[in-house]
Amino acid sequence: MSGLKERLERLRASAMAAQAAEKRDEAESTEWSARESASSPTSAEEAAKLHPAFRRLGVEECTNEAGSFLLRRIVYPYPYRHGRYALEDLRLCAPHLQPVAWRQNRSDKKKRWVPETADEFPAPEASGLLFLDTETTGLGVGTGNVPFMIGIGRYRQDAFVVEQTLIRHPGEERAMLTWLQEQFRGVTHLVTYNGRTFDWPVLVNRFILNGWRRSSAEPGHLDLLHPSRALWKYTLPTCRLSTVEEERLGIIREQDVPGSLAPELYVRYLGDGNPEHLYGVYVHNEKDVLTLASLAVHFGHLLGGGLGTAAEEPTDAEERFRTGAWLEQHGQPSEAERLYDLLAEATEQGEGGGEIGWRLALAAKYKRLGSLHRAVPMWEQAASLAEASRLPRLEAHLELAMYYEHRLKDFASALRYAESALGLARRRASLVRLSAAGRQERERLERRVNRLKRKLLREQLEKTAGFAE
Amino acid sequence: MTGKTESMEEWLSQLRTNKEIMENVTYWHTQPARPSRTVVLPEEVHPKLAQALAAKGIRELYTHQAAAFRSVTAGRHVVTVTPTASGKTLCYNLPVLQTLLHDDSARALYLFPTKALAQDQVAELQELANLMEADIKTHTYDGDTPPTVRQAIRNAGHIVVTNPDMLHSAILPHHTKWVKLFENIRYIVIDELHAYRGVFGSHVANVIRRLKRICKFYGSSPQFLCASATIRNPKEHAERLIGEPVDLNDDNGAPAGEKHLVFYNPPVVNKQLGIRRSSVLESQKLAGSLLKDGIQTIVFARSRVRVEILLTYLQDLVKKELGTKSIRGYRGGYLPKLRREIERGLRSGEIRGVVSTNALELGIDIGQLQACVLNGYPGSIASTWQQSGRAGRRHGSSVTFLVASSNPLDQYLIQNPNYFLGTAPEEARIHPDNLLILLDHVKCAAYELPFEDGDKFGEEKLSDLLEFLAEEKVLHHVGTRWYWMEQGFPAHNISLRSAAQENFIIIDMTAGHKVIGEVDRFGAPTLIHEEAIYLHEGVQYQVEKLDYPEKKAYVREVNVDYFTDANLATELKVLHIDQEAQEGPLLRQYGEVTVTAKPTIFKKIRLRTHENIGSGPIHLPEEELQTSGYWFSFSEEETAKRSANDMQMALLGLANVLVHLAPLHLMCDPLDIRVVPQVKDIHHKRPTIYFYDRYPGGIGLSQRLYELHGELLKEAGRLIRGCGCQSGCPACVGPIEEVGLLGKQLALSLLDGLRVPS
Repeated sequence: MSGLKERLERLRASAMAAQAAEKRDEAESTEWSARESASSPTSAEEAAKLHPAFRRLGVEECTNEAGSFLLRRIVYPYPYRHGRYALEDLRLCAPHLQPVAWRQNRSDKKKRWVPETADEFPAPEASGLLFLDTETTGLGVGTGNVPFMIGIGRYRQDAFVVEQTLIRHPGEERAMLTWLQEQFRGVTHLVTYNGRTFDWPVLVNRFILNGWRRSSAEPGHLDLLHPSRALWKYTLPTCRLSTVEEERLGIIREQDVPGSLAPELYVRYLGDGNPEHLYGVYVHNEKDVLTLASLAVHFGHLLGGGLGTAAEEPTDAEERFRTGAWLEQHGQPSEAERLYDLLAEATEQGEGGGEIGWRLALAAKYKRLGSLHRAVPMWEQAASLAEASRLPRLEAHLELAMYYEHRLKDFASALRYAESALGLARRRASLVRLSAAGRQERERLERRVNRLKRKLLREQLEKTAGFAE
Repeated sequence: MTGKTESMEEWLSQLRTNKEIMENVTYWHTQPARPSRTVVLPEEVHPKLAQALAAKGIRELYTHQAAAFRSVTAGRHVVTVTPTASGKTLCYNLPVLQTLLHDDSARALYLFPTKALAQDQVAELQELANLMEADIKTHTYDGDTPPTVRQAIRNAGHIVVTNPDMLHSAILPHHTKWVKLFENIRYIVIDELHAYRGVFGSHVANVIRRLKRICKFYGSSPQFLCASATIRNPKEHAERLIGEPVDLNDDNGAPAGEKHLVFYNPPVVNKQLGIRRSSVLESQKLAGSLLKDGIQTIVFARSRVRVEILLTYLQDLVKKELGTKSIRGYRGGYLPKLRREIERGLRSGEIRGVVSTNALELGIDIGQLQACVLNGYPGSIASTWQQSGRAGRRHGSSVTFLVASSNPLDQYLIQNPNYFLGTAPEEARIHPDNLLILLDHVKCAAYELPFEDGDKFGEEKLSDLLEFLAEEKVLHHVGTRWYWMEQGFPAHNISLRSAAQENFIIIDMTAGHKVIGEVDRFGAPTLIHEEAIYLHEGVQYQVEKLDYPEKKAYVREVNVDYFTDANLATELKVLHIDQEAQEGPLLRQYGEVTVTAKPTIFKKIRLRTHENIGSGPIHLPEEELQTSGYWFSFSEEETAKRSANDMQMALLGLANVLVHLAPLHLMCDPLDIRVVPQVKDIHHKRPTIYFYDRYPGGIGLSQRLYELHGELLKEAGRLIRGCGCQSGCPACVGPIEEVGLLGKQLALSLLDGLRVPS
């Protein structure tokens, strides 16, 4: 049996050979740069001296009983605007986020905010919020994914303060976590973007791996991804923070390093110890934290009656409807009503854009409330939009067919809608594979058409019979 | 009973008078009934547990159950080895439940090789918990567990029942979610230990290393309670797998009814060519006769294709008496729902017959059947006992027919029944330190928890491996620790079952698109190449399109009178020689080789007559394998004694024999080891026979063969000489169409030239 090292070398050689066969021309340039990096300068002793490039960034070494790590602190004295919103408005806006916090931190997953139960979840104070965003070495929430940079932001009396930790190597993690743990004191809510399913579970992993255990005193969540989705899922191309800030908060980043590059840049830094690789990551993380604050202000204004004044009124019909629905869920029925009325008026004037989704949803709401006079024009518009659509939806036609059949007993109109629904169903079927539900729907439609034909025939017979008599 | 004969005894006595069949019976072995040996329930057994057992009619323990309880109470790791249906599960359930009744915070982890076995187990534990009126929560945790209940299981499940794959890819990499389990884990139960051998077993041994590492991190050191079917080296195997010393518990106290093992050799139809009647047809005849007489029967066949062929024949045969639904197929590619339905039907007796691959060899609960027909020797003594254990009740007789095929190993065994009956079952072998497997798991382990200088993981020098991974920029070394430093999630790219994650899906396009089954990656080139006939539940499908990158095969139902069989072309290169020895004219060596394999053509073979009626090319990418190999080459002098053509025939004949003998000595699947004869190999330019492990990096099979070399050749000589044919037949060196009229003689003279003592 040959030595382990020899075998490892042969293993590498064969892997290299396979690669070389794939991209022969690249092989030359990539040939074992690992040799040099194997002697990377990030040994613990060398890293202990702070690199001057870190100083230029305003980074300082921070030491506690668990060791040391790096900390960067940036103070934004008020007044300070990040995009459309002033961060000092957090003081006024934070308490308005109570229904959001209520919905996100209940164990029973109740949907609609009930003000009577407010006591269980007191209104957040700006000073109790911790804005949090992490940069990690990998994807997913497994135990091998390490946050190498944690950015936190806090509302203070005179300024908004951002602090960013960095570990020069994974050995500094415990010191960083010890510091972070201290920062949680007095924090009631973590304000994040997808933090409930990503940043926080990753941090919990790190705490557990370093010997901490979970307690019941963990801060609550204000994960702004959820309200962002509720509002913009149908109108923005994605609900990524970068899209949301640009499209709705008036924030433009120049030369931003996308967060997805952060792991690679960190590995590069680990390789040669040059902090310059991390400049972009620092700036990106800092802006993310600021944007979180700005977004919290936005939602606070929406829930605090500032729609149309402090916060811009949505002009797009779809977004207007989604905003209304969200406000309704969060204890603002009259504000929602106002938005719905605007949509109903627009419908009566034949306006409201080319979206079918909100029309069907709002019409369904009016139908439940018995306001068919408002529902019918929306269905009619939705029906004509559907007919022009390549992949048509049938709901509006079905609703109208029912309405004409049962309410107005106008079988001819009902039949017209049912038949064109059947036509649409056939068009759908030619484009997408028919599901079992789709097939059932088509069968129901066929039965409806037949029934309507019978009714119509009987009606005509009765009429002619009437004449004859 | 729906049958026509009164009892198994009567059926057997009728058989003994049937001259036509008895002519072909080479040996009839009867194992007498065995009474039970029991001891009273130990006093310390919790009253609730005693009461629950009593409710199930258990007032005493079999001796092996009591012994397991004693070992566990004494704090030892245990491996229990007893036959099918001997009350093995109580050996671990008893101590586990005992502990849980006394300590609500205690936890246990159960590992089964398949999801189906896990589900059986949970049902049994839940029944016991109900009888005890104890709040003991048992859950399966696998790919089918709904996300909504996963959190509850992680926090509150007393017994978590899962499989090694799930442990590897979902539990260990997320161990921080399982703090409750790992801090309080008292027992790790590993049933079906014998299933963890070869590549799969080598992976699982590493998963267990990782599991132990995580337990240690959380301050627990659980006891391992293992159970295995009969193998020669249960204690050694358990110790290698879990890396701890174990108590062996094999004093079986369970009763068994009388058992008949009948060796059946299909009659010779062409003496000159040494051709026997097809074992498939003979198995069908025996099974048909059993089924027609109402005897619940299981038929085992060695390949999926065989299963499907036999199923078709049998369903056809007893269509009138029983209806096709009462005879079913069972094999890996069937979807889980269908399998559960078949298992239920077998237990209830609604299904009278089942044709299966070794998929039913494992402890899936199908009740006890009365008769078993083995179409061909299952490849190992252990498997044979395991499969024949499917027939056999605690009271009353049962019968197993071993129907020999014409391959040399089957013929050897059928003519030397004492070899089979007198030899202990094979060893289960694993090679957890296979470099590639080990490296994979070092990566996973580093992801789970950083390594410290001085840590141990396996037998190889860990620091070399860590340094290698650091150079590859997978790990980052700081101070005394090695940290995972890659973006990826290593467990995702590592499958414990060489091909499990890369299964090809079979899509039936006859009416819409319907997924009817799956085939693993190794099987794909030969089973579902374009134009192949794929059999599923006795129905023939032709593969119309194989989407290789997407791993999908599109098939359509057809009705033809042939099946297909594919050829692989193989090329070998020696990379490194680790060991060598010169003995007379023979140089034998062991080392690393590279193998490239490419499917070339397929043959169409007519059903029933098995004649070749056509062929076609296969266009699929070639696959490369770096592995370990063992080979021997003949000296120039020896080569010069015969013509190149004669040499080729001699080598081919010898290889044909060795390919069947090698797995016998290794207790491995015949597919795990490959044999390739070369008249002038690239490396030595001499006549050479190569053996290689069919797994990247090798799993120690070739190395073992290198050691067994002398014995192997001796056995080969004995087999060829002992064969009754004149000049070669499928049962020894191969049919004369393949090795020529002198094949047998040439192979023997080649062996004689080596002066192998016989």
